[in-house]
Amino acid sequence: MIGFVSSLQPLGELVLVNACLAFSQYVVLRAGVFSLATAGFASLGAYGAAILAARHGVPMPLALVGAGLIGAVAGLVLSVPLSRLRGVYQAIATLAFVQIVLSLALYLEPVTGGAMGMNGLPRLIGGWELILVFGVIFYAMLALSRAGIGSTFDAIRQEETVAVSLGIRVVDYHRLAFALSGALGGLGGGLMALRNYSLVPEDFGFPLLIAVLTFVVLGGRVSPVGPVVGAAVLTLLPEIARPLADYRLLVNGVLMVLVIIYWPHGIVDTIRLHLRQRRHAVSQAAP
Amino acid sequence: MTASTLSLEGVSRRFGGVLAVENVSFSVAPGEIVGLIGPNGAGKSTLVNLIAGLLRLTSGRILLGAADISTAEAPEIARAGIARTFQTVRLLKDESVLDNVAIGFHAQQKSPLLARLLALPAALAEVRATREQAFAILERFDMAGFAHVPAGALSYGHQRRVEMMRTLALRPNLILLDEPVAGMNDVEADALGRIFQGIAGEGIGILLIEHNMRFVMSLCGRINVLDSGRIIASGPPAQVRSDPAVVAAYLGA
Repeated sequence: MIGFVSSLQPLGELVLVNACLAFSQYVVLRAGVFSLATAGFASLGAYGAAILAARHGVPMPLALVGAGLIGAVAGLVLSVPLSRLRGVYQAIATLAFVQIVLSLALYLEPVTGGAMGMNGLPRLIGGWELILVFGVIFYAMLALSRAGIGSTFDAIRQEETVAVSLGIRVVDYHRLAFALSGALGGLGGGLMALRNYSLVPEDFGFPLLIAVLTFVVLGGRVSPVGPVVGAAVLTLLPEIARPLADYRLLVNGVLMVLVIIYWPHGIVDTIRLHLRQRRHAVSQAAP
Repeated sequence: MTASTLSLEGVSRRFGGVLAVENVSFSVAPGEIVGLIGPNGAGKSTLVNLIAGLLRLTSGRILLGAADISTAEAPEIARAGIARTFQTVRLLKDESVLDNVAIGFHAQQKSPLLARLLALPAALAEVRATREQAFAILERFDMAGFAHVPAGALSYGHQRRVEMMRTLALRPNLILLDEPVAGMNDVEADALGRIFQGIAGEGIGILLIEHNMRFVMSLCGRINVLDSGRIIASGPPAQVRSDPAVVAAYLGA
C-alpha cells in the first residue's frame, strides 16, 4: 500500500507542475489574448532558476521567485507590441517568441549548456513545498475571480467592443494578462528545473506548447478549477490507461477533438453552466 | 458627474473615396432627447461610432462641455460620461443579468490593482457594494426577479432593458441609443420610451438613432435628418415631417 502511494507521488507532483503551466495559459485565454508564449516563459524561468540555484547557490524559494520575475518581465516586454494585435496574429507572434527563446537556449552555450542542456541539477523541491507553491498560485487565481479582474477579463473576451464602451482599458488588461502569464509560466518552468535533475532546450518546444493549450481547452478557461482538472486528466490518463501510453499523442488528439465538438467550454465550465441553468430552471418553476 | 452638452462641429469621416459623414454639426444638451434619423446607409451608425471613439474623425471637432474629445480613445470617452447601446443587443450572454449590469460600474472602481489582484478585503467590499448598486438598478427596472438568470436566456425586450441598465451603471452625462426599439412592437417600444423620458428627466442627454418614425416623433424635442452623410433638415418633429427635402429623401413622396 505504502509502495503504491509513494509510486503515485511523482505523478501527483507532475500534475501540480503542469497545473501551474496550465494557469499561465489560462490567464491569457480568459482575457481574450491568444498567446502561446507559455512554453517560452517556462524556458526562461527554468534556465533562470537552474542558474540561480545550481551555479550561484541561491536558496530554492528565492530561485523560484526569480523564475517568476523573469517570466513576468518577459511577459510585460512581449505585451508592448502584442497587446494591440488580436487573434491569429497574436498567436503567430507568440509562436515566434517561443522559437526565439528555444534558439537562445541552444546557441547561448556558455550560459545554458546548449543542446546538451544542464545536467546534474540538484532536486530542491518536491512534496509539501510543491503543494504549498501550488496553493499560493491557486489562491491567486481564485482572488482573480473574486475581486473583479476575472469578470473584466470575461467581458473583454466575450465582447471587446462592449468592454471598451464601458470604459475598460483593454490594452492595460491585456498587459496585465501577459505579465501574469509570464510570471506563472516562469514559475512553472522554475518548478520543472528544480525537480527534474536536468534541462534541455527541447523540453520547452512545440510539444509543451500544445500540452498546456490542451490542459486549458479540455479543463475550461473561466473557472480556475478548469486548468487543474485539464492538467490532471491529461497527466494521469496515460498512466491509468497504461496500454494506451504508446498512443499518448493519438489519445490526446482524439480527446481534444471530442471535447471541442461536444463540450466547447471545457469540462469544468460546461458542468458549471449546466448546473446554473438547472438552478435557474428550478427557481423559475418555484414561484 | 456634472452635466455637459455634447457638440459636433463640422464632423466628417471619409472611408477611402466615400464621404460617409460630411460636415455634420449639432448638439445635445443635458436632459434633452435629440433624434437622428435617415435612410439606411445615411451614416447614422458611423456618426455614433465617431462620437463613441470607435472611429477617428477625418475633420471637425467633438466637444463634451468644454473638453475636446475628438481624438480620445473609446474607454476614455466612456469615462468622460458618454454611454451607448448597440444596434444589435450586445450582452455577455453566459453571465447573469446582475453581472451584466455590475460590469457597467467598472470605470468607477477605486481600489488599486494590487488590492484587487490579492483580493484584499477593501477590494472585495467594493465588489459587494457594486453588486448592491447593480441590484438597485435592477429593482428600478422591475428586473430583480431575473438577477441570476443568464442574460442570453432573456427575451429580446428584456435584453434591451439589461443593455439600458448597463449604460446607466456608468452614470453617464449622455447616452447614445443606436436603434433601441428595432424589432419591438408598439407596446414594448412605448414602455422603453417612458424609461428614456425618465432618464432624460434626470438631466441626462439622449441621442436617439431610430428608424421607427412614430417613436422618434413622440419622444424627441428636436430631430436631425441625415442623408448620404449630410444633415438635410433639423428642427422640431412637426417642421421636419413637412420638410420637402426630408419627404423626398426618407419618408417617400
